[in-house]
Amino acid sequence: MRQLLNRVHWPLWVVLILIGLALILPLVLPWTFDQIDWEAVRAPAFSGSHIFGTDEIGRDRLARLAAGTQVTLMVAIAAALVSLVVGIAWGATAGWIGGKVDEAMMRFVDALYALPFMFIVILLMVIFGRSILLVFIGIGLVEWLTMARVVRGQVMALKQRPFILAAEAAGTPPRTIILKHVLPNIAGVALAYLMLTVPQVVMVESFLSFLGLGVQEPLTSLGILVKEGADDMDMTPLGLLLPGGLLVIILVCLTIEGERLRDIFS
Amino acid sequence: MLALVARRLMTAIPTLLAIILASFFLMRLAPGGPFDGERPLPPETQAALQTAYGLDKPLWEQAWIYISRLAQGDFGPSLVYRDFTVSELVAQGLPISLTLGGLAIALALLIGVSAGLFAAVRAGKAADKTIMMLATVATALPTFVTGPALALLFGLWLGLLPVSGTGEGWSWLTMPVVALALPVSGAIAKLTRAGLATVLKQDHIRTARARGLPETKILFKHGLRPALVPVASYLGPAAAGLLTGAVVVETVFGLPGLGRYFVQGALNRDYPLVLGVVTLYAALIILFNLFADLIYGWLDPRMRDG
Repeated sequence: MRQLLNRVHWPLWVVLILIGLALILPLVLPWTFDQIDWEAVRAPAFSGSHIFGTDEIGRDRLARLAAGTQVTLMVAIAAALVSLVVGIAWGATAGWIGGKVDEAMMRFVDALYALPFMFIVILLMVIFGRSILLVFIGIGLVEWLTMARVVRGQVMALKQRPFILAAEAAGTPPRTIILKHVLPNIAGVALAYLMLTVPQVVMVESFLSFLGLGVQEPLTSLGILVKEGADDMDMTPLGLLLPGGLLVIILVCLTIEGERLRDIFS
Repeated sequence: MLALVARRLMTAIPTLLAIILASFFLMRLAPGGPFDGERPLPPETQAALQTAYGLDKPLWEQAWIYISRLAQGDFGPSLVYRDFTVSELVAQGLPISLTLGGLAIALALLIGVSAGLFAAVRAGKAADKTIMMLATVATALPTFVTGPALALLFGLWLGLLPVSGTGEGWSWLTMPVVALALPVSGAIAKLTRAGLATVLKQDHIRTARARGLPETKILFKHGLRPALVPVASYLGPAAAGLLTGAVVVETVFGLPGLGRYFVQGALNRDYPLVLGVVTLYAALIILFNLFADLIYGWLDPRMRDG
């Protein structure tokens, strides 16, 4: 446990503390994120029980920040897991089979890379209604490409290693080789890229929410809060600066941590 | 060179067709149509409008009609902005989006390459570490945060730049372009730094040093060119990112570019408008990837016949 803790770098601590706050604050604050305080509309910071004040219709900013962070990170983690599963399945298959199949599968990934995928996701959101489930399926489906490339490279390198060749020579069925010998060996790299996918996904989710296409009211997310803040910034700049700052801190910390892990594993 | 261009354009056509067809059928699966506004229209009017725009024909036939018209350069009428054709709307929006995107990529290259170069020269020193840290922060800056934040600081508080619209001169472009360029410049700085670090260790650089060439000449003439190969291969994805970012920036700063028409069109189910914008975006990205490949070949002759 101690060893594990020592490996955690400061940016990850920042994110973990923010997650902790986002989970605990709603339990202890006197206001919920969608509760309107009619006495205090656009209250400044540190007025009464509103630590960061209230927004343009009198909802507690801190409670909204906590709720928004929860939703944003939940969507991000779920979507990153979708991309992990799809990416590993695709990349491992291509890398393991090799040859023409590999070439065709990777050409497909290359082609998708070049597409304005964000626009297809926007179309999906408009068309199939704006459910939170669809948000992360849509995002997960966009973000698996890098994972597939990385995993494929790893699998191709692993395939030549003596212990895999030995397993094959011993007549181990491919299924067992992949599950027991290949996947455990790509776990580290996959974890690093998973860490790098999370900020990407946070960015996409907030982008969609900012355009009004992501998470819907009464639920809130950091993207929605940034949007609300931007619309009201001439009256209360805090409304933009708080969620914007929080979002940037989360994105920067996750990116630094992800890049560090990637450099360690590759 | 010509063979590469020809081959790429050959594969571009089926790709474009696939994108257009996919978007076409996706849009039509959507509940709701372009004519359900605030006031419901009488059913006869609805039916007449459907017939007038050919929306009552079978879907495959509509798709065929759309594509054959598109081949002649006709994007069809806009269903929501009824006095305009999609071509007219696009002709208004495209120059704005292209100016934004073009300036942003130029600025990102300028900042990114010089920062990466500077960091590589100071490899391992404090300046290197600071620049790389700033580059990481820059890559994590979403345009929908930097855009409004810049507008707040320079527009509302300092009153130096216009907050929205396309006023006179160039000042209205400053903030949108900076917001778009920041994340891309961070990524370019990192790629340049990493590329130079690898190149400067190679034999031809050692030979150049041994021959006593001035360090600046080594850096710019022999080091930078091969080091920019990874930057060139990043330009394709960067273009896609810029177009996405442009949607936000155009919304934030109230600029009538393609991105705004796309979002408005999607929300209003203006089928021809959305299809027109998606087609243009896809074509732009394909063209830009081809362009990036050509730069790639110019930077690294070994890649030319790849």
